[in-house]
Amino acid sequence: MNRSTLTLIFSFVFLVLVQVMVFNNISLFGYVNPMIYLLFLVIYRFDNDQTLLIFLSFILGFCIDFLSQSGGAHMIASLTIGFLRPLIIRYSFGVTSEIPSTFQNDSRIKNKYLFLTIFILIHHLIYFTIVYFSWNATYLILKNTLLTSVFSLILISLLSRFYKKLNDT
Amino acid sequence: MQRIVEALIRFRNPISYLILLGLSIVFLNGRSNFHQNHLEKYSLYFSQSIYSFSHRIENYFNLKKINERLLKENKILKDLQLKSNELKLYPSNQKLKKRFPFKVITANVIKNSFLNQRNFLIIDKGSKDGIVSEMGVISDQGIIGIIKSVSEHYSTVISVLNQNLKINVRLKNSSAFGSLSWKGTNPIDFQVDDVVVNSSLINGDTIVTGGMSSYFPLGIPLGKITSYNRDNRSGYYKINTSLFEDPSQVYHVYVIENKDIEEINKLKKEIK
Repeated sequence: MNRSTLTLIFSFVFLVLVQVMVFNNISLFGYVNPMIYLLFLVIYRFDNDQTLLIFLSFILGFCIDFLSQSGGAHMIASLTIGFLRPLIIRYSFGVTSEIPSTFQNDSRIKNKYLFLTIFILIHHLIYFTIVYFSWNATYLILKNTLLTSVFSLILISLLSRFYKKLNDT
Repeated sequence: MQRIVEALIRFRNPISYLILLGLSIVFLNGRSNFHQNHLEKYSLYFSQSIYSFSHRIENYFNLKKINERLLKENKILKDLQLKSNELKLYPSNQKLKKRFPFKVITANVIKNSFLNQRNFLIIDKGSKDGIVSEMGVISDQGIIGIIKSVSEHYSTVISVLNQNLKINVRLKNSSAFGSLSWKGTNPIDFQVDDVVVNSSLINGDTIVTGGMSSYFPLGIPLGKITSYNRDNRSGYYKINTSLFEDPSQVYHVYVIENKDIEEINKLKKEIK
């Protein structure tokens, strides 16, 4: 039970609770609820076990769904993004061996933000597609995805800086 | 076995992803009525398309049976059609029960020539099926010919595409009699001779069998008048007709058995 595992467990619980209690009730402009629980899937070490991540993302989505009385949309979206994470990492940090071991350790800001943007956009797109689940709502899905993504991106990048400081000390 | 385990370990991520995805879809299905409705719609679509696919395959293997059944039904319907055609054209007391001596036997064409001036067909029914020579042969939309010779399982048919064959016909509306024969060129171009000039003709009138030949019952529709010439010197019309069906492209035929033919032949002999 080393320090990073403890951080992971703590942040899991913390992010789920904060998401359910605070960020699900923000309703900015009436409908924007940023999803900061994705931060957990971002700070999970890049060189850690991928199978474990898939199960963790499933459990994460399940917890959010269960506590916020939504259907299963968070579950499917976070599970899918957990499965796709290696692909996004490889795309945004380059195919060669320059992939960092954790998200916060890397200093290439451009790559980091590319990673975050793709990650959040895909997740939100899947989430809102499942929530509306109809061709007639295409405009709504896209609008919600873009707006929510912007706020999620801002919040997640701010909070990830906090993790960086935590690691340094 | 080891290979399976190895493959399972190698593809553990996609496999676990798919299993969990399935679980979450079940979860979604159970919790949200909206999604339940949508998913049911898709599952209905899939199951329906699978069922219709298997149904089509099943149908394909049943085709032979169905075909046989349809041919049998067709035979019964053809009997009825011939009967009703004749009853319609022979005005008689409706209350009296009328004898109808014709019966239908189905057969398939196994050889059909149409390039010569005197053409023949071979059909796959013979004396075992009750066919004797000089029976009429028709198809579902017209006339094919007359049985010439019969073996045990096969028989030859003199095609209507044979310039020696003349068939007694009448016109449906003007009820003038004539004889139909092939011109020898196009398989649907025929001519009708021996129609006397004092009967009135209309282009497009239907030509039906005349019922005088004891081969065919009255009233089988054969073709239409396309044009006609009035030949005043001979006193007969020369009528060009086209058949409803091309006799060179027929596969299923009906042989018409006339149960009274011996009776009629006996009477004919007495006249001579």
